[in-house]
Amino acid sequence: MTIHNAYIGIGANLGDPSANVERALVALEEFGAIVRRSTLYRTRPWGKTDQPDFVNAAALLETSLAPRELLSALKTVERGLGREPGERWGPRIVDLDLLAYDALEIDEPNLRIPHPHLRERAFVLVPLAEIDPGFADARDALPAEELQGVEPLNRGTVTGMAAQRTHVTARVRRLAEFLAAGDAVRVRVESPDGEFEVARTVRGAATQHVATATATDARAMRIETIKADLVGIFRLSRPAPTEGEVLDEDRELAYIEALGIRTPVRSLGTGRVVAIASVDGAPVEYGQPLFLLDRG
Amino acid sequence: MRTVAVFSEPDRQSLHVRQADESFCVGPGPVPRSYLNIPNIISTALITRCDAVHPGYGFLAENARFAEICADHGLTFIGPRPSVIAAMGDKATAKRVMNEAGVATIPGTDILASVDDAARAAAEMGYPVLLKATAGGGGKGMRSVERREDLERAFAGATAEAEASFKDGRLYMEKLIAHPRHVEVQVLADEFGGTVHLGERDCSVQKPSHQKLIEESPAPNLSAHARASLHAMAIRACEHVGYTNAGTLEFLAAGDDVYFMEMNTRIQVEHPVTEMAYGIDLVKEQIRVAAGEALGYVQGDLVPRGHAIECRINAEDPRNNFAPQAGTVTNVVFPGGPGIRVDTYLYPGASVPPYYDSLLAKTIAYGDTRDAAIARMERALRETVVEGVGTTIELCLAVLSSREFRTGHYDIGLIPAMFAPTV
Repeated sequence: MTIHNAYIGIGANLGDPSANVERALVALEEFGAIVRRSTLYRTRPWGKTDQPDFVNAAALLETSLAPRELLSALKTVERGLGREPGERWGPRIVDLDLLAYDALEIDEPNLRIPHPHLRERAFVLVPLAEIDPGFADARDALPAEELQGVEPLNRGTVTGMAAQRTHVTARVRRLAEFLAAGDAVRVRVESPDGEFEVARTVRGAATQHVATATATDARAMRIETIKADLVGIFRLSRPAPTEGEVLDEDRELAYIEALGIRTPVRSLGTGRVVAIASVDGAPVEYGQPLFLLDRG
Repeated sequence: MRTVAVFSEPDRQSLHVRQADESFCVGPGPVPRSYLNIPNIISTALITRCDAVHPGYGFLAENARFAEICADHGLTFIGPRPSVIAAMGDKATAKRVMNEAGVATIPGTDILASVDDAARAAAEMGYPVLLKATAGGGGKGMRSVERREDLERAFAGATAEAEASFKDGRLYMEKLIAHPRHVEVQVLADEFGGTVHLGERDCSVQKPSHQKLIEESPAPNLSAHARASLHAMAIRACEHVGYTNAGTLEFLAAGDDVYFMEMNTRIQVEHPVTEMAYGIDLVKEQIRVAAGEALGYVQGDLVPRGHAIECRINAEDPRNNFAPQAGTVTNVVFPGGPGIRVDTYLYPGASVPPYYDSLLAKTIAYGDTRDAAIARMERALRETVVEGVGTTIELCLAVLSSREFRTGHYDIGLIPAMFAPTV
């Protein structure tokens, strides 16, 4: 499953526009992870004084959907958010535009990526440049009076720490969902924002995730799980065991740190390390799977 | 206030685990490896950056060493100081301390060194005698001995049970008082010398194993003199040892005579009875005291109202010597309405593991009068549905409808008499 970067433009000017934009962002989470979102901007309609101000924003959505599927998803979100109450055929409450998708260029009758008017509209480029500095040049090339018509709605609405947390939480959640959906034990993603690693662990009263291995022929293996027999912090030994490594003797694989004492976790014999089920530095509870070994 | 629950593997789906903000498995089913696993419990508290540990009742609740270890690791133990737990939690030592404080105690011994020691002591005070675990509670590690011939077996049985339940198999002996009532006084003290009592509870309705089944407050048909005496002795005892946080002093009452039996330096199972009668949240007060707050009220501010009764619903078969029942609770319906409180971990599909105390739920009924409380309790018990394991509900109803209970003239022989073999 490949993850794609989709830039979404969000606009609203009916009802409570800010709230509607926020609701759209929440709704988009169903189709991926919002890893970046801009602050809200108010756009004064230039010259059209009979229209209410628009609230605009931009978001970077990490998704596995293909462009057409994503477009369809955006339409679904628009429909789901409904229309102004009482207006059966009236304008939509929220407008969602697919502005860009990876570095793709598509020119088809009802799908054009990047969005054809992207570089002309201040209310698209200003929020977009906020979340991706790559668009800054295009924004700065716009006429001054166009740029002045777009103002941040509330300074610091979603900035700094909160945005960072949203970003990281969304990314981690997305990876966790990916894990839960399949057989993988651990997922590692390297991106310009940093490295993210999510591993399957067994915690709390939620359904017990049995750590399984990605293997081409699981039946040929005799999998044994090495579990924690105390509560503490899991740390891999040095040199760290690696997945796929063959152990030809009993070896210390890791240790659990608790109350100032390091208790070794041994392989208890030979075998092949199929999976490392926990993460260095993670708290582990009694019975938590740590390693999956194929005793062969 | 955020919470971290610790649980054993069989308790993974238990209600407290689901309701806590975080939870950690601390070991397998058997108690010594999980709920008595001090390293894992402390480790959990440290990893989750807890400020305090509430030990509940049973397990490590009266373990002075555990309280010390908590303090060593910067964790506030919600309970008295370790030295006070050691002094009063050790039943044999407590008696000595109470004597010093001028509180009447039951004739008895210090820790028994051996079964021979026990035989000597019993011969001196005269049978029948009672062997009790010094670290005990909940009726565990207790055996009554009617005759010399039964002593060895009783000694061995009590020692083993105490060892398993409290990691401490030491026993002491007391004279077995005939037809006593078990009356206990709830106390609460802050760290500034503020000490109050919250009345007494009658806990004479006990299974043959001495574990309580029904508790009520106030104690019925207790003379004003005996009641005042109990309350005064409880306060005196607390002040003598510098007691802090919540605790209960247990007495045996025979007629107008009251004897100190033991002190439980923790919150007790039946604390809701007192909470209903006094309108005070005792566990909240425990936390407040542990956090360094003053009580904020004095004895005169505490005015009990009405009458409260608790029935313990255990997974036991009374007809089969109270054999514990393990299994899955397939259906459960609990009563509601005014004056009814239910504390439980049950929900449909909950499993009752075989490793622990058989308590499933506590039903507490409150009324303006004792009769009103009894009527409400009877209605509540009849509305209660627990399917999948046998329970003590029918037995509780039988007790509530007995003449002895209704008139309020009963002692700890009530249930044993109901089960006396009719030959």
